[in-house]
Amino acid sequence: MIKCVVWDLDNTLLDGIYLESPDQPPAASPGLAGILTELAGRGILHAIASRNPPEAGQYAERATGHAFAAIQCGWGTKSAAIRAIMSELGVAADAIAFVDDDAMERAEVSFSLPDVLVLAPRDMADAVGWPQFSPPAVTDEARRRGDLYLQRRSRQEEARAFGGSREEFLRYCQTRVSIGLATLADLPRLHELSVRTHQFNSAGRVLSEAEFAWLFGSPRRQVVTVRLSDRFGDDGIVGGCVLVAGSGPAPRPGYGTWNVPLLMMSCRALGRGVIDALLTWICQTARAGGAAQVAMTCLVSPRNVPLRIALTGAGFRAGTDTGTAGVPRFAVYVRRLGEPLPDLPDWVTVAR
Amino acid sequence: MTGDPDLTSEPDVTGELRQILAGLTGDSRPLDAPADTPLLRDGIGLDSLGGTMLLTEIRRRYGIDVADQDLNLDSLASIRTLAAYISMRLSPEHPP
Repeated sequence: MIKCVVWDLDNTLLDGIYLESPDQPPAASPGLAGILTELAGRGILHAIASRNPPEAGQYAERATGHAFAAIQCGWGTKSAAIRAIMSELGVAADAIAFVDDDAMERAEVSFSLPDVLVLAPRDMADAVGWPQFSPPAVTDEARRRGDLYLQRRSRQEEARAFGGSREEFLRYCQTRVSIGLATLADLPRLHELSVRTHQFNSAGRVLSEAEFAWLFGSPRRQVVTVRLSDRFGDDGIVGGCVLVAGSGPAPRPGYGTWNVPLLMMSCRALGRGVIDALLTWICQTARAGGAAQVAMTCLVSPRNVPLRIALTGAGFRAGTDTGTAGVPRFAVYVRRLGEPLPDLPDWVTVAR
Repeated sequence: MTGDPDLTSEPDVTGELRQILAGLTGDSRPLDAPADTPLLRDGIGLDSLGGTMLLTEIRRRYGIDVADQDLNLDSLASIRTLAAYISMRLSPEHPP
């Protein structure tokens, strides 16, 4: 699924070369600008990677009437520009499409970032119909996605200027993480998160709305949503998890183990304390329910390394690897609750 | 010249790692930080996405898939542990 389209400007998004007519730069290509607007309506982000001075990016925003989620104008390689955009937006290479009229530039990106979908401008009219560009559900979060990334841009600009620690910055932003039980109204967003999240997804598979609805059906299972907001804006639901209480009479094995069959978080929440808060909440809730440990079955793949880094940081440890190296497989990550747990930061509220 | 360059010597993994880290963080501190400086959070300051980009670069450069082989990612503890992990996997005695 493509989450972000990175556009070249000269002879691509602009009908000409920006620097060749400084007094009257070229207009936006009407065809591509229309495609850009159509894709933005589906919740797909847009960014610019151009060999031009920074003013070219601002000009392109005026010419297309679109505020881009990230702009990289400079004289480095296109692959370096795309890497910077990936880092800024928290989007992986295989969720990026790159559009450039220049075959050399396309070849350079294909070579350096083989997972990026590389396209020529003439491909775009067809590409809008491809499944990679057609997200399954258009939720409220999806419609507002472009705005949310603009808020992210302002937040990152302030973070760079901010002198204190990350904790202090999150507090300064009036970050608010709210963890609570999901309702039926949240089903489309939970399904969408299961489609869109990869870097922070423990299960590595899509769950339908019906499957989530089925999960609601047991008092032992809690289906949980995580909402995020700060003074830059309201991100809505950015994550979720399923927590299953231990079963059987007390002395039996398994009684003291609570399981997390699914945990997922949007990359948009990266760096904002959400994943740590959610893992802490899971451990505290399980301990309050009498659990001795929490076990999370987690896919081992190159895609979800960020989740596994967060798990290790929160004190989870994987058992013996019984799978085959190089093949995606599952491992059980266990957090023993006898060891001290961190406190939830005071900006996290728990709704019941 | 005091002698021919020693073509049999092992690559300077620690030095290369420092270069990669400096590139990823846009900061020169990793070039001379103590080898036991933690890579994540308060040490070198990589977040989980930075850690992922580091592992991607290591896979590209050395052909070692740390994320696949080290389930707990203990090798990301510090510059030293990661360099040791890579050197061990590069050594001819190590089974592929």
